[in-house]
Amino acid sequence: MNWFTNTFGSSLGKKLMMAVTGLFFCVFLVLHLAGNLTIYMGKDVFNSYAEHLHSLGPLLTLAEWGLLIFAVIHISSGLLLFYQNFKARPERYAVNKRAGGRTLGSATMPYTGVILLLFVIYHLFNFHFVDKTHTTIFQIVSNAFAQPSYVLIYTFAMIIAAVHVSHGFWSAFQTLGANHPKYTPFLRGLSLVFSLIVGIGFGFIPVYVSLLV
Amino acid sequence: MQLDAKIPSGPLSDKWDKHRFELKLVNPANKRKYNIIVVGTGLAGGSAAASLAELGYYVKNFCVQDSPRRAHSIAAQGGINAAKNYQNDGDSIWRLFYDTIKGGDFRAREANVHRLAQVSNHIIDHCVAQGIPFAREYGGLLSNRSFGGAQVSRTFYARGQTGQQLLLGAYSALMRQVAAGLVTLFPRREMLDLVVINGQARGIVVRNMITGEIESHAADAVVMCTGGYANVFYLSTNAMASNVSATFRAYKKGAFFANPCYTQIHPTCIPVHGTYQSKLTLMSESLRNDGRVWVPKTPGDKRPPNQIPESERDYYLENKYPSFGNLVPRDVASRNAKAQCDLGKGVGETGFAVYLDFKDAIKRDGKDVIAQKYGNLFQMYEKITASNPYEAPMMIYPASHYVMGGLWVDYNLMSNLPGLFVMGEANFSDHGANRLGASALMQGLADGYFVIPYTIGGYLVGMDRPEVTTDHPAFKDAVHYVTERINKLLSINGKRTVDDIHRQLGHILWEYCGMSRSEEGLLKARKLIQELRGEFWENALVPGSSEDFNQSLERAGRVADFLEFAELLVIDAFERKESCGAHFNDAYQTEENEAKRDDENFCHVAAWEYKGDDTAPELHKEPLVFENVELTQRSYK
Amino acid sequence: MTKNIDITLKIWRQKNADVKGGFETYHASNISIDMSFLEMIDVVNEQLTLDGKDPIAFDHDCREGICGMCGAVVNGRAHGPEKGTTLCQLHMRHFSSGDTIVIEPWRAKAFPIIKDLAVDRSAFDQIIVAGGYISVNTGGAPDANAIPISQEIAEKAMDAAACIGCGACVASCPNASAMLFTGAKISQFALLPQGRPEAALRALAMVRKMDELCFGNCGNERECEVECPKEISISNIARMNREFFKAGLGSAVM
Repeated sequence: MNWFTNTFGSSLGKKLMMAVTGLFFCVFLVLHLAGNLTIYMGKDVFNSYAEHLHSLGPLLTLAEWGLLIFAVIHISSGLLLFYQNFKARPERYAVNKRAGGRTLGSATMPYTGVILLLFVIYHLFNFHFVDKTHTTIFQIVSNAFAQPSYVLIYTFAMIIAAVHVSHGFWSAFQTLGANHPKYTPFLRGLSLVFSLIVGIGFGFIPVYVSLLV
Repeated sequence: MQLDAKIPSGPLSDKWDKHRFELKLVNPANKRKYNIIVVGTGLAGGSAAASLAELGYYVKNFCVQDSPRRAHSIAAQGGINAAKNYQNDGDSIWRLFYDTIKGGDFRAREANVHRLAQVSNHIIDHCVAQGIPFAREYGGLLSNRSFGGAQVSRTFYARGQTGQQLLLGAYSALMRQVAAGLVTLFPRREMLDLVVINGQARGIVVRNMITGEIESHAADAVVMCTGGYANVFYLSTNAMASNVSATFRAYKKGAFFANPCYTQIHPTCIPVHGTYQSKLTLMSESLRNDGRVWVPKTPGDKRPPNQIPESERDYYLENKYPSFGNLVPRDVASRNAKAQCDLGKGVGETGFAVYLDFKDAIKRDGKDVIAQKYGNLFQMYEKITASNPYEAPMMIYPASHYVMGGLWVDYNLMSNLPGLFVMGEANFSDHGANRLGASALMQGLADGYFVIPYTIGGYLVGMDRPEVTTDHPAFKDAVHYVTERINKLLSINGKRTVDDIHRQLGHILWEYCGMSRSEEGLLKARKLIQELRGEFWENALVPGSSEDFNQSLERAGRVADFLEFAELLVIDAFERKESCGAHFNDAYQTEENEAKRDDENFCHVAAWEYKGDDTAPELHKEPLVFENVELTQRSYK
Repeated sequence: MTKNIDITLKIWRQKNADVKGGFETYHASNISIDMSFLEMIDVVNEQLTLDGKDPIAFDHDCREGICGMCGAVVNGRAHGPEKGTTLCQLHMRHFSSGDTIVIEPWRAKAFPIIKDLAVDRSAFDQIIVAGGYISVNTGGAPDANAIPISQEIAEKAMDAAACIGCGACVASCPNASAMLFTGAKISQFALLPQGRPEAALRALAMVRKMDELCFGNCGNERECEVECPKEISISNIARMNREFFKAGLGSAVM
């Protein structure tokens, strides 16, 4: 092995990749949310946002490939870490009790992660890999959320996403080594605020759209 | 047999330099041909194994714990002395030497103690280089405090965990040598016998405590750093596994046991509170820097401490010893505590405790300053007693803590058996009849880092040794003896547990051979010990098998040795018809109830030679010669 | 003043690493609340011995919370429910009459069971062997005051150095990770000027050894710092991470 695989193949290397890609997804979530929020300004604004986005052409393709590669890194590292962690304790405790460090978010990271993965695939098939020639993105969205099952699934998924980032956000900083007595408490607070923004910001859109139609 | 301490000639302060020059050197290329066994991984053993390996020797290092990092040196709290004089308060090598000799009540060798003071400074340098986070001042320089019995601030410390930090330093140096392949570690091994061939120590026999296998290891020299025997009192501040077995086995193989009656009682321990109690916890002596010791003036006063007005408190140490006050040496503080309790002025549920009060210190310095100095000790106290020392005074009582006695060694730290070196608490050498606070760490590290690396070379090239392997009959005999003894222990199948018998032994010694001793009591103790030993071999119950992780068997072996050793301790105490340092015989005291020495007849080291199980041991005297200090009656008035 | 309680114990018994273990139930009556947890087990063991049964094997030594030898998971908590406390310093006054207490050994692949509650923690020693030291030989050190070190740094290094190597971090970590232990040692030396010369080498070697020994990976769940009897902070893990990334990506050390 050379220094590259030695570094990135290590436990900390995998965690580093998780953290960097995770933070990247946090940025992506912010942009995605900002775009989505245009829906509150009416369907024309929303549609024109989508058109603008698509007019970026190769840049957009590049971003999509970037997202895909990052997703592959995040998911494969995450699964590998999960598998190693599972193997690290072959015999489990009969009694488990939290000491006070673990949170809902931290305890469920692998599970919320897998749910999110399934959701993202589902989401892409709903809105991305669809024939958009004779329709607008707003129509696709409003058709989808006219069905209560879609609203339920999307809202649930966004709650899951909120739980995932509630730990993931500050955890990424800790992994990157950014821990400081002055700023870490702020980051942990920000993590919760961010998870609320993600949960409410994304989660309310399906409800809102379903109420429109 | 005349004991030769091999003290170099010349002026005291030149002896060590001269001796180092005169010692033969081992050719660097030859060092790797020598195998050295180091038993124990505490401050002495860990530092010795690391330093010897650094020189190129091949070292096998043994310990009873699961890791070298757990040796009981780790529990030393207060600090380590050095004559750095960083505080500009009049300290010097000579003063550290003098304080140590005087603290030991003039029962230690001048040359050894002076060397200890000399190398003390190098220890601090080396430990800092190892990355030990000693306490520092705001300016970034090292901080010092004054410590039990010293009038200068020469104690270096790392919070209340100095022993831990120093040990982890030695441990890290040791592990570096493990990485280098020069040290092989043998954890969870208990030394059960010393192998002597042609009068030279050539190996040991150990039991693998996990599998029960009896293993033999041969070497060119054996370095024993196996700690002290304070657990002979059952209740002590020592770790549960601390024992006399290794040194006692060596004694039975011909090494002389010196001054076994010098056992130190530490004045500031958490009082005993039940028969189930397994050990006593020490509160660092540094607490006496700021805490004031008192008892109620009226015997039997059972009011809570906060309700006893100042006028009805007896600050007996401050009153009796105005210049030293609460900082009198350990034996003085201990005996005075006992005296107060004997007068019925003891406090707490049992009446065997005195107060150590921080009220005035907190008023003077503020709670934060006190918390910074003693926070972890206060926390520990509260955990054990459920009482908060910031609000109510601590209760303390003396407990068996450290032993100055140990295997006899010469100036090279070699016993009378060539090739057997003994260091740290396991030897007798530097503390005389009483050890000063913060000196045990200094001695352990001095021996391991700065003495043995020189003196062992002199032995290795200075004396011929035949090639031996573990196939030698002496090893076979030792394995046979050890196996027989284990089988015997397992087959007693009586009705009393080993701990129960050990507890009784502790009571006997604490009662008759503890803080104060009398000839009558010692005679009685000897008889009681003999009876108890008889009962042990008839009525002890040791469960399990030998080929297993069997902690009961481990304890049984140790207690069996304690039962034999206790008698030697009592014999030595009986024969020393004087009081000195920690050995206090009621019949020999000054008008101020101070230990009264008899320099005419007892200014010697008492070294005992084993003569057989049914024969009394033979006493050899090494006269102590004082050329540089004047023997004075200790007075801390 | 002293009070006695009666309790039920469910203790993990396992003859050795090769056989399957299981829980056994014991009743301990008349336990003084002033006893330490280990003294309570002593009492149970005395009775087991007298009854001709095999006493419970458990590691312990100093019994004052500093050697790091003792440890068990008590009712799902490493070293029991008290904060900043080793098992030997846990007292029975924290339990009530009628309680059932479940006692299990540290569980991790890297800590195989030796017998009952005793486990093999030599993996920790191996991590230290990989680089948990400053390479100075005895003898050549400069004067101790030659390098001033700010009190703040010395205190931080001491915070990290307070680790007793008990293994509670691994035991309490949902992932059986040893990063608090490793991070504390890397931090102690990374903070001090004496430790800087080989900081890169040390960080890489110790982390790689830790991985090799099959410890799990830190998930930043913070259970370790809450359970650590010496209350060592996960800021030391962050520092280890920084040191590792600096060394892995920015230094010339392979």
